Amino acid sequence: MKRILPLALLFVLILFPLVVRDDYHQHLMILVLMWVVIGSGWNVIAGYTGQVSFGDAAFFGTGAYTAGLFAHKLGISAWWAMALGGVTAMAVALPFGWICFRLRGAYFALATLALNEVMRHVATLWESLTDGMVGILIMQTFVSKVPYYYIALALAVVSVLSIEVIMGSKWGYYFVSIREDQDAAESLGIDTHFYKMVSLNIAAFLTGMAGSLYMNYMGFIDPEVVFSLHDISIMAILVGIVGGVGTIYGPVVGAFVMVAVHEFFRTGFFGFFQKLAVLTGSGLVNTVAAYVVQAHVLGFGILVVMVILLLPNGIVGDWNKIMGTLFPVRKKGIEG
Amino acid sequence: MEVFLQTLVAGILKGGLYSLIGIGMTLIMGVMGIINLAHGQLMMVAMYVTFVCFHYLGIDPYLALFISAPALFLLGMVIQKYTLNPLMEVESILPENQVLMTVGIGMVLTEIARFLFGSDYRSVKTSYSSSAFYLGEISFSVALTAAFFLAVAFTVFMFWFLLRTDIGRSIRAVGQDKDAASLMGVNPKRITIITFGMGSALVAVAGTLLMPLYYLFPDIGGPFTRKAFVITILGGLGSTVGAIFGGVTLGLAESFGATYIGMAYDDMIGLLIFVLVLLFLPGGFKRLTKI
Amino acid sequence: MKKCSVILACLLSLTGLIHSGAFGAEALKVGVILPLTGKLAKFGEIEKRSFILALDEINASGGVNGKKIDLIIEDTTGKADVGRSAIEKLISRDKVLVVGGGYSSSVTWAAVAVAQQHKVPFLVNTGSADRITEQGWEYIFRLNPPVSEYPKALGSFISEIGDVKTVVILHENTLFGQSGSKKFSKQCKDLGLEVVMEEGYEAGAVDFKPLLVKVKAKKPDFLYMISYVMDASLLMRQAKELNLHPRLFVGGAAGFTLPEFQKNAGDASDYVFSATLWTPSVPYPGATAYYDKFVATHGSPTEYHGAEAYAGMYVISDALRRATSLTRKGVRDALAATDMMTAFGPVKFVAYDKKTQQNRLPTFLVQWLHGNLETVWPKEVATAKYVYPVPKWNER
Repeated sequence: MKRILPLALLFVLILFPLVVRDDYHQHLMILVLMWVVIGSGWNVIAGYTGQVSFGDAAFFGTGAYTAGLFAHKLGISAWWAMALGGVTAMAVALPFGWICFRLRGAYFALATLALNEVMRHVATLWESLTDGMVGILIMQTFVSKVPYYYIALALAVVSVLSIEVIMGSKWGYYFVSIREDQDAAESLGIDTHFYKMVSLNIAAFLTGMAGSLYMNYMGFIDPEVVFSLHDISIMAILVGIVGGVGTIYGPVVGAFVMVAVHEFFRTGFFGFFQKLAVLTGSGLVNTVAAYVVQAHVLGFGILVVMVILLLPNGIVGDWNKIMGTLFPVRKKGIEG
Repeated sequence: MEVFLQTLVAGILKGGLYSLIGIGMTLIMGVMGIINLAHGQLMMVAMYVTFVCFHYLGIDPYLALFISAPALFLLGMVIQKYTLNPLMEVESILPENQVLMTVGIGMVLTEIARFLFGSDYRSVKTSYSSSAFYLGEISFSVALTAAFFLAVAFTVFMFWFLLRTDIGRSIRAVGQDKDAASLMGVNPKRITIITFGMGSALVAVAGTLLMPLYYLFPDIGGPFTRKAFVITILGGLGSTVGAIFGGVTLGLAESFGATYIGMAYDDMIGLLIFVLVLLFLPGGFKRLTKI
Repeated sequence: MKKCSVILACLLSLTGLIHSGAFGAEALKVGVILPLTGKLAKFGEIEKRSFILALDEINASGGVNGKKIDLIIEDTTGKADVGRSAIEKLISRDKVLVVGGGYSSSVTWAAVAVAQQHKVPFLVNTGSADRITEQGWEYIFRLNPPVSEYPKALGSFISEIGDVKTVVILHENTLFGQSGSKKFSKQCKDLGLEVVMEEGYEAGAVDFKPLLVKVKAKKPDFLYMISYVMDASLLMRQAKELNLHPRLFVGGAAGFTLPEFQKNAGDASDYVFSATLWTPSVPYPGATAYYDKFVATHGSPTEYHGAEAYAGMYVISDALRRATSLTRKGVRDALAATDMMTAFGPVKFVAYDKKTQQNRLPTFLVQWLHGNLETVWPKEVATAKYVYPVPKWNER
């Protein structure tokens, strides 16, 4: 039973680009799939191992620049760099972890944030390597989005499956035990430092691959875009938290919701107000439409606040709570 | 030699202002363990309040202090009461939800500001905005020097407040051990609300003082939040004197870095110091003093 | 059960179909990308208003061969990746014939690659990094001079005044700043000037004093700054505080020509020179008329960015009129053959140095004199006499 729904979803996703030919929606779905990968990565280190990272953009950017530099400087097709993007991100994860894992909780989060910013500055200032703010521009291999879609889908499926496998294994238990009580775990003989590093490397690998995919797909990156604290690191956290930390499908749900919501607000409820304005020809509705589009980030922010307040364990984690509110069940029985 | 002295002066004066920004955060972080990623945005709100006071009411920024600080105090209390306190009740897998909440709040504050005032740059120009006095060849910006002395004054005030007043002691008690404090008759919820309010009011002072020197736009908050962290970690959580130390250290590091290494690197230098302190001096300056 | 939410969210994201095109099938679709929100919103707004000003004039006088132009403006929010998505939407969903706009260099750079790949003609009117027209891309045209040519007028001015030997260059760390600084450095060498210091800074800094004190120690003859408006204001204000007085302060356009610069820097902005691409008093037909109309309609001033957008709209409509077939290729070929005069200056796309399909225009030098931006060089178009050397701070 548990298997049917994910498989059904997979089926729908596979058929998607064949049914929906529209470039714009394909683009949105590719973004969703990319965020599934990043969110899953973040989930491993934060949701399962309890080390909340605010700096995942460091891995993303590293992966993106690896792919970009391969194409730009070495003339090798950026596709080879896809896997390498994950590896270089792991190389970054090693010192990252070594520095940050001495710290706990809030301090760890701050340190990851600082390192994220350091990476961004390095990319901007090390012009001889990265061309600084000029960024890296490559011509995409495919003009159609469909091949990218399937690659992203494959990546997303691999991420989710590997999370499932890992979390079901002994490693998964070690991670969770570190999250619940690191000292107790240590005292039980679990090498917490080692497993935290493993967890971080998994996260880095996945996020780095997503970064390489981004380079290949978008064709243009610069330090502001790929090392962005706000657009990548914090978005990763939101995907994880809104979806549900510590769950396998949380990032999947989170990715869908966050991309949809973001786009929803950016286009003013998908142009609902504009359509309404055209229909009614009303000046008032027009102004409202203009305001809604202008304030799209505000709507997004308010939503974030509400979700955190009401659904602290995310959509998947608090699913029962959601169902309970939408479909309250009257209990007839002993409990009055 | 002139370069060295001017850089030194610039660093110290800037540090004074920075420490005002940090002192609010160190209080919040030290007492409640809340990482407030909306700290810079609170400062932004205070700056808009100052701007409105100046442009529409003709009130000088130094007087507007008496409006912006209480306003932010109230705002801080409201934020803590209705968004952060409820989070502490809820059982969730990750305690970091509350950090994210502050991210969300920061976003909301920024966007409301953009909605009301647009993305335009605003500034407040007073007679003393660009004036400077000279000691020899070294120039001292009037507004920045005033900010420096006010920062010291506030630090002294907070020091006294936390040591001598009832509320101050309750705040420290909650910071040390919430449960023990409540056993002693302190209401931790009320204290957290007041503390967040105070932290916000302090950063409001910093913002108001910064207004004549800099400019204002909705996205101004982010970099200042980061600086506040560095200062807090440098000085040690909850330590008011540490905030001055942290602020001046950061100011000097940035100034000397800008002069002798290159201005493009000054942000990085702050970040690297941050990481180094996190690693090697985890308690911050506080380790070396009592409070 | 849990997956219901996934399917729901899926469907939500899938049902975003909105049909654009409130105009009839007769209208010619033109896309424009501009930063309408975000940090650069102010400039985006000036350009958008200018596009619309031109559009209304064109449509009111019969449109293009009887057809109206339907202008679809997309917001890039000032970010390169959003810019790419915006232009992709214009190309594949709105099916525009041609794209205009392109404000910041990095967003424009990212967007032109998309246009070239999809074979859609793009008339860049503001993005100034040289490389945009150095790729040999036949679908990309640029109306405005590249950043390396901004200080052209400065070159002849320096030859005129003669006694400057050393220069310090300060620039913001963006594509615009970094590339502009490199190009200007080279130009200085060609002019026989010594660049004694060149440094970048992160835009939005609070305190430029450490940087300026270094500049003061070098005692340069002149200071060249590439900044946007708020950094420019702070730089000048703090230079005043430090009593830094080279013989000449020159800005590399952008922030230095905006009215906000003068408002924020106050008397520290006085006597500052700047390179610029256009002023209301340039000798091109329609320049002053455009300026006056803009001020009358919107109650606020416009400057060279607005003029670029205004002219851009006219060039696009002219190409549409001449196109032998109303396809993207047809419009592209028509653009390539452009030879007309606009309020921004003459427009003809030529190839020179490494560039292709680039319009070549002279630039001007302006100076802030007592709160007004006066054109001071070349002499033929000057509205006021330049003041050189710039008076020291305590002598004003």
